[in-house]
Amino acid sequence: MRQLEKLLRRLPARGFGYSTASGGWRSTVGLELHVQLLAKQKLFSAASAKWNDNPNTNVYMVDASIPGSLPRLNPHCVQLAARAILGLKGQVQPVSSFDRKHYFYLDQPLGYQITQQFFPIGKGGFIELGQAEGLGHSKKVHVHQLQLEQDTAKSIHDVYPGYVLADLNRAGVGLIEIVTRPDIETAEEAAQFVRKMQVLLRHIGVSNCNMEDGSMRCDVNVSVYRDGNDRLSGTRCELKNLNSLKVIRCAIDAEVSRQVGLLTAGKTVEQETRGFDARSGTTFLTRSKEAAPDYRYMPDPDIPEVHISRNWVEEVQRTLPELPEMTRERLKKQYNLTKEDIETMINEPGCVSFFEQLATTRNPKRVASWVTSEIFGQLSYRAQRLADSPLTVAQLGELLDSLANNAITSAQAKQLLIEFMDGEARSTAELIKAYGWKVLDDDSLIRQIARDTLDKHPKEVSGYLKGQARRLNFLIGKTMQATKGQARPQDVSRIVKELLESASAD
Amino acid sequence: MSLSRIPRRLVHHRCCLTTHSNSPPTVDSALETISQRNPSLNAFVTSRVPAELAETAVADGPLKGWPVGIKANIATVSNSDTDVTSCGSHALQSYKSPFQATVVDALERAGAVVMGKTNMDEFGMGSKNTYSIYGPARNPHTSESQDKDSCQIYDCSPGGSSGGSAAAVASNMCRAALGSDTGGSVRLPAAWCGIVGFKPSYGRISRYGLVPYGSSLDTVGIMARSVQDVQQVFQAVSRPDTRDMTCMTESLRSRINTGSQSRPWAARLLSQNNIEAEKPLAGIRIGIPRECWVEELSASALDAWKQGAERLSALGCEIVAVSLPHLPNALPAYYTLALAEASSNLARYDGVRYGLRKEPGNRGPKELGASRKYAETRSQGLGAEVQRRILLGTYVMSDAACRHFYLPSQRIRRVIQTEFDSVFALPNALSSEAFEKTLLDWASGGRSAGVDALLFPTATDTAPPLLEGREENTAASYVNDVMTVPANLAGIPAISVPVGHKDRMPIGLQLAAQYGDDELLLQIARYLGA
Repeated sequence: MRQLEKLLRRLPARGFGYSTASGGWRSTVGLELHVQLLAKQKLFSAASAKWNDNPNTNVYMVDASIPGSLPRLNPHCVQLAARAILGLKGQVQPVSSFDRKHYFYLDQPLGYQITQQFFPIGKGGFIELGQAEGLGHSKKVHVHQLQLEQDTAKSIHDVYPGYVLADLNRAGVGLIEIVTRPDIETAEEAAQFVRKMQVLLRHIGVSNCNMEDGSMRCDVNVSVYRDGNDRLSGTRCELKNLNSLKVIRCAIDAEVSRQVGLLTAGKTVEQETRGFDARSGTTFLTRSKEAAPDYRYMPDPDIPEVHISRNWVEEVQRTLPELPEMTRERLKKQYNLTKEDIETMINEPGCVSFFEQLATTRNPKRVASWVTSEIFGQLSYRAQRLADSPLTVAQLGELLDSLANNAITSAQAKQLLIEFMDGEARSTAELIKAYGWKVLDDDSLIRQIARDTLDKHPKEVSGYLKGQARRLNFLIGKTMQATKGQARPQDVSRIVKELLESASAD
Repeated sequence: MSLSRIPRRLVHHRCCLTTHSNSPPTVDSALETISQRNPSLNAFVTSRVPAELAETAVADGPLKGWPVGIKANIATVSNSDTDVTSCGSHALQSYKSPFQATVVDALERAGAVVMGKTNMDEFGMGSKNTYSIYGPARNPHTSESQDKDSCQIYDCSPGGSSGGSAAAVASNMCRAALGSDTGGSVRLPAAWCGIVGFKPSYGRISRYGLVPYGSSLDTVGIMARSVQDVQQVFQAVSRPDTRDMTCMTESLRSRINTGSQSRPWAARLLSQNNIEAEKPLAGIRIGIPRECWVEELSASALDAWKQGAERLSALGCEIVAVSLPHLPNALPAYYTLALAEASSNLARYDGVRYGLRKEPGNRGPKELGASRKYAETRSQGLGAEVQRRILLGTYVMSDAACRHFYLPSQRIRRVIQTEFDSVFALPNALSSEAFEKTLLDWASGGRSAGVDALLFPTATDTAPPLLEGREENTAASYVNDVMTVPANLAGIPAISVPVGHKDRMPIGLQLAAQYGDDELLLQIARYLGA
């Protein structure tokens, strides 16, 4: 018990209450999410956006800032940004423009980043958090603005001692930065917001949003205030480069606790930029306010204003798939699925469509159960995504139909599923033939096997007869085993019950 | 390089060479002239040797066999090892561009033969061509000193920043040359060297491959001995280019063309190349901007201006006075915006990917790491004037100064654009409503108020001697641009045409027209020259 206490004390502040209200303190949180767009080419050059190819292979003139080269806006990136804005129910701006943000660093070949400081392409929009996210209340987190900008190059340290290397593959890849209003109040809300944003942006094909490989990055602004004061009265600190949902949670809690600690000790919070050290569970200073750079924002004279017509926006709107919120409602209404099944399917890209193609002509509950337990079990065992699995809708459809028609048993079906997911290309019918599978549907034969099984387990039989109902499943299972899985479970169950009843009558 | 280190030179032998021969130079004659005159004029900083030129296939086009010079800040690609795109800077002294500028491609497709790269002020920053790693180019025209006691003859500045291009054209080392014009860098050297210098509307010629100075002001410009030659080059290179988002699209060009052609009074001038009429410019209205009559204007420039107006009047033009009240604000606004953009555009010369790279040695605090390398590379790679302009540009964009300098300058720029729009008869094609409305008025026989072109001096005086002041006053030297920067701020076309001489030194007059009205401007300019 004492050890447990010690352990608990070493955990970061999460769960210990600063995040909501502690000693009259509350926190205010705003997020900046950087999201890599799923465009094939970079934001301002025709080079491939595959930033993890061999270093410095996807580099065009402007990506290396060759003198005299000029940026050229990739319309696909504009379209993806518009999708994100519409997915968040925000407004695509009729006129937007690009600005230069200046600083010298190896990862910035031009000496500036092209971004949208003054007239971003998107304004407004929100994500609603509620019971589906495990919150006791529901609230909207509003988007302040959404802007298009360039990713930086990657600087590689410590490969060659004494040198820093630059990989320009990522330089100029298209990002959107989504800035929220300070609507978030707790670390948990922040994490749920990010998770929901990931689901949405994946669903509408804007980004992979993988925090582990950097296609989504998160900066957080945190301030605290005393209960009853203005929510925005505290001095805020920015936490940079939080690279997982867990880190977001822990870092916010740790920062809130640090700020409350300072204030209760009569000190002040300085406006600064901080990082998070996961090992100690604390935040640390990375840049004080005095060292804050002056980015000297300037409209980029190489890129004309972007004018977007209402027709174009409507066109993008038409190509948007159903948004997760609506999908949830529909799956509930149309198929009467459980909340858990719906969440599982919505969070896996492509899964809802996979399910629906199967469910229209079959029992939806059974399809859902196969998808969420059997298939997901296999996917997680294989650490694979559904989209990357060789399993096709047609294969699974035939499998489920064969099962429903009693052509195979569920044990056989599960075996086939594994083979399909291993890459088996033959159909269910072909495989049944190849394996020489037949369903044992001769009642007298099953009765014979069941009788033998019961004879081998007299203790269980007598136990059942004394009223130990749970013995029944054991006996059914043993009988199924004895049929080598070729009998249908419902047949075996019926016959075993009959035999036991007749035994009790004796 | 400081000015005091430029050797004082006596150049009696060149007096006799300044007369223009009548036949335009060919590649062979240009080669000959380059070998004879370039050592003293320093116009070309790299030039192709006859063997290289012999290997070059010449396209069959309207400029077939024209020897041309390319300013050293325009990217070229050739087999020559010495073909660098140095921008007159130590930072890029041995930099070879991996690609060629769109405008050079277009010239070569039309048959022109690139003879080499021409001298310039580093990155286009200067008005006298004195800020060049190659040393100054020299004006082919020479003047007798004002100093009556010594009666010496001095080398004069060719003007800048496209001084090498101007000197090369004026001395027949090439038939035409490309320059770049951010605040007058084509027109001022053209005026001082006695040739024609044309800055087209912003976006007429692709900037892809032009190393930027102030991107929103930069234009590729054309220099030649006659307006007709400028016109031919312009026709070959004024094309849409998807690689430059600020280059005029085909649809904008045809819109402007429609508007331009639908002026009944200008249609004849636009459609015919040689009008033999007694008053070929009848119907054209020329504005004289009052605000150009500045204190600094020399008597000779004022005389030339008056004579130019009389000449156009004699050819049938109606001459009217116009007012552009904010023109006096143009110079400070220009220097704020151009320098702000320069500080941004030149940030890339950090020595990481190309160009000069210097290690910091043991000086300075170690913990600054990369910053010290950047500082050392840039301190050694960029010249004093470039550094001065970068620092000023960085300052005017800083958080503290932006509101007092950068933002007001942007406002002044818009006001000046609006004022130009208000004096021209042709509406600005970028404001579509006004444009369509005016076209309808013309169709119903109306003639809007407003002028077709403006006439004003290119420079306040003739070319100064290269040794003018031992200590040059930077701010005073910026005044050289007072007549030329308004056209860059407004994005409108402007051309400098030689109209006369004072003390053997050429004088240029400037014509400017509405945005996109380049062709009418060139047609009028043909009649202005002496």
